[in-house]
Amino acid sequence: MIRNIVGDVYQIGEYVEGSYGYEAVLVYVIMNHQHPILIDCGSQLHRAGIMQEINSLLAGHTPEYIFLTHSELPHAGNLQQVAKQWPNIKVIVSNVMLPYIEIAPILPLSQITSEAAGKTINIGGRTLKFVFATLKDQPGSQWVFDTQTGILFTGDGFGYYQSAEQIGKFSDEVEGGIREIQFRDYHRTAFHFLRWVLPEKFNPDLDAIFAQLPVKIIAPIHGDAIRSDIPTHVARLKQAVANIRNVV
Amino acid sequence: MNTIIFGEGLERVAVRPITSDIFWITHCLGDKAQDIYKNYFGMLPNAADYSGHRIVDYPFSAFLVRDEKSLMIDTGAPRQQANTLKAVEYVLGDKSLDYIWISHVELPHAGNAPVLKRRYPQAQYMTVRGGEQYALHGLEGAQLMAPGEVINLGKHQLESVEPLFVDHGLSQWAYERTTGFMFTADWAHNLHEPAKNECFMFLDEMENAGYSADLHCDDVKVNAWYQFPWLKWTDPDEVCAAVDTFFARYDTKILAPSHGNIIRGDMARYVPLIKEGMRQAIAM
Repeated sequence: MIRNIVGDVYQIGEYVEGSYGYEAVLVYVIMNHQHPILIDCGSQLHRAGIMQEINSLLAGHTPEYIFLTHSELPHAGNLQQVAKQWPNIKVIVSNVMLPYIEIAPILPLSQITSEAAGKTINIGGRTLKFVFATLKDQPGSQWVFDTQTGILFTGDGFGYYQSAEQIGKFSDEVEGGIREIQFRDYHRTAFHFLRWVLPEKFNPDLDAIFAQLPVKIIAPIHGDAIRSDIPTHVARLKQAVANIRNVV
Repeated sequence: MNTIIFGEGLERVAVRPITSDIFWITHCLGDKAQDIYKNYFGMLPNAADYSGHRIVDYPFSAFLVRDEKSLMIDTGAPRQQANTLKAVEYVLGDKSLDYIWISHVELPHAGNAPVLKRRYPQAQYMTVRGGEQYALHGLEGAQLMAPGEVINLGKHQLESVEPLFVDHGLSQWAYERTTGFMFTADWAHNLHEPAKNECFMFLDEMENAGYSADLHCDDVKVNAWYQFPWLKWTDPDEVCAAVDTFFARYDTKILAPSHGNIIRGDMARYVPLIKEGMRQAIAM
């Protein structure tokens, strides 16, 4: 399912069913004129569909970069296919990742760049800023902020389960937006460490990101883009983290 | 059997017995460590302590239990696929591999599961119960174990352990009841120096050659800080109490993390160092 989020940014991907509802497994595509950028590349389970949708969107253009929020299979499972089709593509990962061992030996290591949180990169006139991932399920997880559209791509962070009726809908197309329980169910399963986390220590770090960056849209890999009322959704995420700590 | 090394550089894999039937199958970089880890440790204010005057290395390990039924704890990463297979075949000879037990689904832990399954098609994937979407993570058809469940291998009995400190949501540790072998995946590991020939050494051997308790505590701290960046949001007293409870429950005689040198005894001395390292990591 291809959907335009805003401007030249699209989400594509699939949804898998579980006991909590559906979990999105998305890829984001920034068209960026002649310099397309992929954010993650999806699961190997959905290879044919995802590659078809990427190709449909790119319409013959060659993606210049792929940013991997982290290297788990649902995020990097199609890297082999991407590298096969576009062998010159450059991969960007966090500087805390060790590409030689955390990424399958598909591309020459010289095509993989490690960037630290806080750094920016300019790709064809577009500035992306790398952001410390407050919610990591791998040390090498990283978020990235698109300064042109105000989209914060958050990997597993801000993921949520959704009902069949919600599939493919942005938060502003769902009455009331994404509920706290949706964030809570997802984060409890994805981030088991949250049972240790004290909200009074965690919340200021999360707030700092949104104080420093003019985030207009949150784009998780495991949930459709959150386009509405960012402060409310951040507050719900914080409440979910607090509830996970209190309930477990 | 002493340490046997297959390959070199980014692909090298060593195999060494820990007991007569539990084998350490591990990759580390040796003289390539500084090139790879320079940026990694560059985040630290005292980076030279890890990639300057002291140049440290970091293993990626799997463990093979050879018994009536043989079981491999984790699998190593695809970059070392060929040499990992050689190491497994070297240990098992004509015996089969019956279980491929996965602690969590990151590539350095589970990345060679498919190739091991192709080599030993009868092998059963084992992983932790309680998750969903196993196919998404490449573990479709895995036999699921809840904490406390045990696989009987013959002389050895492997228990699935609820992990204390994790990154990935679907994670488990393992305890082998006969030998007191405790596998803690990404937690409680030190660093080693290739220039001092510490690759593939046990920790007591390193200490005999000069590695100190202070260094061990500091290494545990730095590794925990990298591995579990969420520690800074925790209560150190709660964390340390959980460590005490854990080791009171499991009579650990061998501590085998994925990314450190193996501790072969004297846990009463090491547990306080590990706790102090955790406390310091939380304060970083």
